[in-house]
Parts: sequence; C-alpha cells; structure tokens
Amino acid sequence: MSQPLTPTELAAFRARQKSRSRALALVLVALVVLFFAITLVKLKTEKAGAGGPAPTSTDLPLTKSQGAQ
Amino acid sequence: MSLAPSSTTLPSMAADWRDFYALTKPRVMTLVIFTGLCGLLAAPGHINPVLGFTAILCIAVGAGGAAALNMWWESDLDAGMKRTRHRPVPAGRMEPTSARDFGFALSGGAVMVMGLAIGWLAGLILAFSIFYYAWIYTVWLKPRTPQNIVIGGGAGAFPPLIGWIAVTDHITLMPVLLFLIIFVWTPPHFWALALFVQIDYAKVGIPMMPVVAGERSTRLQILAYAVVLLPLTLLPWWLGYTGRIYGVAALVLGVVFLMFSAKVGLRHTRGTDDAMKPEKRLFGYSILYLFVLFGMLVVDHVATGYGA
Repeated sequence: MSQPLTPTELAAFRARQKSRSRALALVLVALVVLFFAITLVKLKTEKAGAGGPAPTSTDLPLTKSQGAQ
Repeated sequence: MSLAPSSTTLPSMAADWRDFYALTKPRVMTLVIFTGLCGLLAAPGHINPVLGFTAILCIAVGAGGAAALNMWWESDLDAGMKRTRHRPVPAGRMEPTSARDFGFALSGGAVMVMGLAIGWLAGLILAFSIFYYAWIYTVWLKPRTPQNIVIGGGAGAFPPLIGWIAVTDHITLMPVLLFLIIFVWTPPHFWALALFVQIDYAKVGIPMMPVVAGERSTRLQILAYAVVLLPLTLLPWWLGYTGRIYGVAALVLGVVFLMFSAKVGLRHTRGTDDAMKPEKRLFGYSILYLFVLFGMLVVDHVATGYGA
C-alpha cells in the first residue's frame, strides 16, 4: 500500500525535479549553440565548394618521405 | 498544476540528473572519448574543429545511450552484484522504463546528429556499435557464452574507427587495425577483472570465463591474447602507417603488458585469502596501456607526419 509523502520527502522530490529541469535546460541551450555552429560551418564549406569530409590520401601506407612533407 | 503527487509513495521521478548521468557509465566513456579522439586526430586529412567536436560528442553520447540500455536490460542482474547494486535502477531511484527511454533517446539523437553533421557512414557505424553493445553483447551473448567478452569487446573497439571515418568518410586498413587492437586488448583486460570479482558473476549466473572454464584456462587465455596483442600493435608500424615513435612505444608497452599477463597466466590462486595482486595490477596497467598506446599514435602522427 502506498504511503503519502511527508513534507520533507515532497521538498526533496521538488528539489530533484528542479535540478533535473535545470540540467535539461542547459543541455538544450548547449544543443542550440552546437547546431548553430554546425550550420555556420556547413554553410561556409558549401560556399567554398568543399562540402563533406576533407579529401584524404590513398589507402596505401605512406613512406616517411611522403608523409613528412 | 503540480507534477508532484502529494499522496503517493516517493515516485521514481525523484531520480535527479546525476542518476541519468550515472546511466551513461562515465568512467567507461572516458576511454571511449579518448580512443575516438585519437582515431580522429591520427586520421589523414582535416576536419573542422566544430565538426570534430561534434563527432566525438556523438561517439560519447552514443556510448552513453548504449550503456543506459545495458543498465535497463541488466537491472535485475545488477541488483545481485555488489559492484553494481547501487546503480540508479537496481537501487530504486529510477524506473527501468526511464532508463530505457533515456538510452533510446541518446542513441537515436547521437546517430541522427552524426549522420546529418558528419556523414552517414560514420552515423551507420555508430548505430551498429550501439546495437552491437546493447543487443549483441548485452542481450544475446553475455548470458549465453563465456566468449561474451571476446565478441562483445568489439563494441568498445568502434570509437577509433568512427573517429577516423568522421575525417576520411571511408574505411581503410589502418582504422580496422585500431579496431582489432582494442578487440584483442579487451579479453585480457576484462578477464583480469573477472578473476577478482568472479564470485559476483557466479552469483547472478553470468557465464564469465573464470566461472565456466575455470581459473586455469582463463589465465592461459589472458596470456594467449597478450601474445597476439604485441605483434598486432606493431603491425601499423611494420606496414608503414605510423612512424618510429609509435612503433617503439607499442613495443615497450606491449612487452610490459606481456610480462604482467605472464605473471597472471602462469600463477595459481593461493586459497581464498589470495589478494589477487597480479590480476589487479594487470587490470590497472591495461587501462594505462591503451591510453598511452593511442596517445602515442597521435604524438607520432603530429611529430613524424606519418599518415598526413
């Protein structure tokens, strides 16, 4: 059978709820900033005509002289 | 309207953000972030720092999501082990469904952002790595076979592969070698731990190697994997993918790893009061080993220009 919450338990519950909401708000703000930054980078690379990951060297192992240029 | 029920038991909603954070296994995530970052930094080519940060964040969040799904699925088992019974779900601070939903949300979010911001090859491999850990390892292999750690070790081996692919957008031999290094490193690392916490695993019926095959066999297998690991870590150097800095570091680190493994592999437990010092030493060293090995890969890349 369920027991009613005591005032202390209720206060603890609300405090946890509040801290969780704050953490979630922080995460959401951080995501907004991240998505904004990603968008800027994507727009910049598209403008420069170099969208997508940077071109890479071949799959062949590089020699010291090739790699250390 | 208040969300808090005033006449019921203290609800599981009482879980605070720290409990959700604990679901992501932050200590394991450190290694995931580090190896993923090393894969990204050692890869040939260039990635914008914002996109690089996003890739690592997605790897970390994906790993956190997989860990939350693992904790949701294994909450009953966790309750029976001393090491895990204080986790949020078995401790009763959180509903199992909250852990499940949190895990799915993190996993889905990480894969979507990785796919859209970095590339769908990296996103696809991240999705597979989450599926590999949360289903192939946790649900399928772990309760069925003592080889669970061997095959499940693949889950922890994905981060450097994904980090590398985030830069190159294609799979080559070198990131596969990095995957294999962690894959072969995992059994001796985990079995060393399983040797000194085997009573816990036996109690909840998880067929860990020491429980099923016995201590002797486990010790010899630890040594066997360490023997394979040494030449495997030297392969990138022999094949010309890295320079001398990595090669020498891999050789020295590998020889020490082999020595610690030999101490574990060739000894017998001395009764129930054995402090298992060599096993604990190997477990501790194995973590340091992987950190330094992958760190040296990046140092080598920066210093010698190999793979640039």
